[in-house]
Amino acid sequence: MIVGIPRALLYHYYYPFWKTYFEELGIEVMVSPPTNKVVMDLGVKASVPEICVPIKVYLGHVLELVNMGADWIFVPRFVSIQKGQFFCPKFMGLPDMIRHSFPHIASRLLIPAIESTTDDLATSPKQYREIEEKLGISTAANKRALKKAETVWIDFRRWSLKGYEIPDAMALALGTKNPQQEAATIIEHQQDEITLGVLGYVYNLYDSMISLDILSRLREMNVKVKTFEMIPERMLKERLIGMPKTMFWTFSDKLFAAGYHFYNEESIDGLIHVTAFGCGPDSMLGKLLELDSVKYQKPFMTVRIDEHSGENHLQTRIEAYVDMLRRKKQLNTQRGA
Amino acid sequence: MKVSFPYMGTTVVYKKLLEMLGHEVIMPPKPTQKTINLGVKYSPEFACFPLKVIMGSYFEAIDKGAEVIITSGGHGPCRAGFYERVHRRILEAEGHFVDFIVFDSMFRDRKTFIENVKRLKGKTPLHKVIHALWMVYDMIGKLDKLEMEVQRIRAYEVNRGETTRIWEHIQKMFDKAYTRGALRNAYDKGRKMLAAIELHSVEEENRIRIGIVGEIYVVMEDSINMKMEQLLNSLGAEVERSQYLSQWVTYNMLPKWINWSHEKHILKLSDPYLPIQIGGHAKQSVGQIVDYSRRGFDGVVHLMPFGCLPELVSQSIIPKINEDFGIPVLTISLDEQAGIANNQTRVEAFIDLVKSKHKERLSQGEKNINKSTQHVTTTG
Ligand code: SF4
Ligand code: SF4
Repeated sequence: MIVGIPRALLYHYYYPFWKTYFEELGIEVMVSPPTNKVVMDLGVKASVPEICVPIKVYLGHVLELVNMGADWIFVPRFVSIQKGQFFCPKFMGLPDMIRHSFPHIASRLLIPAIESTTDDLATSPKQYREIEEKLGISTAANKRALKKAETVWIDFRRWSLKGYEIPDAMALALGTKNPQQEAATIIEHQQDEITLGVLGYVYNLYDSMISLDILSRLREMNVKVKTFEMIPERMLKERLIGMPKTMFWTFSDKLFAAGYHFYNEESIDGLIHVTAFGCGPDSMLGKLLELDSVKYQKPFMTVRIDEHSGENHLQTRIEAYVDMLRRKKQLNTQRGA
Repeated sequence: MKVSFPYMGTTVVYKKLLEMLGHEVIMPPKPTQKTINLGVKYSPEFACFPLKVIMGSYFEAIDKGAEVIITSGGHGPCRAGFYERVHRRILEAEGHFVDFIVFDSMFRDRKTFIENVKRLKGKTPLHKVIHALWMVYDMIGKLDKLEMEVQRIRAYEVNRGETTRIWEHIQKMFDKAYTRGALRNAYDKGRKMLAAIELHSVEEENRIRIGIVGEIYVVMEDSINMKMEQLLNSLGAEVERSQYLSQWVTYNMLPKWINWSHEKHILKLSDPYLPIQIGGHAKQSVGQIVDYSRRGFDGVVHLMPFGCLPELVSQSIIPKINEDFGIPVLTISLDEQAGIANNQTRVEAFIDLVKSKHKERLSQGEKNINKSTQHVTTTG
């Protein structure tokens, strides 16, 4: 029996958890390949045109897994991972879009409803009842697997908090990379001259097809990058205190908080907001942050991506932006000296 | 206080309530192209269309002197209050420091709700407040009844435009009514006026009925939905809207045990397609489409703001509902760039399709009747 996990959306935040979980249960895991032209086209064809790219891409990955011969496809319904807060409506309705658009695979979908009170998905085991029923697993085995998954996932988060980008953090947590090797890269990073706060959902930033690999482009320019998942939860929460509650959705809120964190943190020289075409939540938080850019005297740039985005254009824009930041920084240090 | 509010649907109602509480009401002008342009200019590009239009509306109301804006956060996790946050911030950036009073459902946040009520109530004595609320609730119900009649008969009016003219006149009569008696008079008179409109007679079986569903703002506010109801009526179809103000008030402002039956029924119908509330009105839209098919409607027009998150989910599910129930559904997404001419053609083509389906159904119905009579004769 093979369970397929689409390499899209919250794969980029929960894969270490899910992989460990299924493997502990003795179930083989299959992951769709990194987004490529074929996957993208599959997804674009299967979706209503107005919907945002990451959702299109997700549908593409689901179909690709079917082609690859997965017996089950894992498409959790993300409802809430924080009390009183929800996910973007598209996340909540995603499994329904899938089962009604592709009725022929409806019976092969695993759709646990994720409703917990923290990011740690092991905290409410009843979400996984569906898996017990469909795959014939005992509650005890389920609990044990969740426990193990939790340990690995917490380790993964620890690596992120240390400043590793997600693919590295995953590899380290899953043991496919050796921590000693890695220590060197981090130190090297620290010598970089400028640091950017990059705001974006994990499923956009870390999907190199969607984001046109913006993170490696920045790295090549010798820029250090910080993203929201590298900031401790506690600090993000502090930023939201005093703001009206449940304004955005969970991950939008994290980005919003991260934005203000970057504004306030001295080591950050500027912000880039990477947003998918047609993302409603982002347009709100982007606007609010942009308006405050003057107040904090830190540059803020928006990069909008969709399935037609061009690489050259992106490259030119970020180069210009980084140059500007460098000049600004030099000027400041000269003045300061 | 000089108060204003977002323009949506039958605005006389909000005006009346605020006036009865002793406020000076700054009526926001009905949204026009100018309003939309203003809104688009100041709003984030990918903000939902309603946010942009309302943004424009606020600028216009402030121009007319509004100091306080009253609005609602709506229910469901979608817009949940963030409109106001963005609006307020943008207005501030333009140098307008107005106050906002945001009403969320009384059951979500009782404390703020009561505080808001206190602010609005001001020095008005309690018995007057109760009187005002009661009046307005009564008024909403009466206006909704008349409006439903308008949406039906306008399809058959002999003199183009007469029904709309009379409907506008009726709303003015309500605007001037400040006592229960005056309200009753306005209602009776309104009914008579509507009854006097000359209509083409159309056989019951030849009547076409279309339901309108979708996101509340674009469904309720005709100035931004291409006057969809009038358009459908002019093509000879009776129209029913999925949402009327009285239902909205019942659902948002009154306790559960009073009258949620309709809403509950609709939500239940959508369960097989969308088991949970995902925000906005997606679950309702889906349920309402099912409801209209069950009630024998000929088609549904699904209206959504461009890129509306929850309605995109309903849009993705609609083909399946269509497969299950056979009801034709036309989705139209609206924004500042929506080509009216193009959409108009789509609506016309849709109504043609619906009409021919209706005929087909009729002739099949006849065949079935013939069959059953034959059946009766042979066994009898
Ligand atoms: S948050 Fe934005 S990018 Fe993510 S699914 Fe929702 S609309 Fe799409
Ligand atoms: S329901 Fe649609 S229009 Fe309303 S806030 Fe949500 S996305 Fe915007």
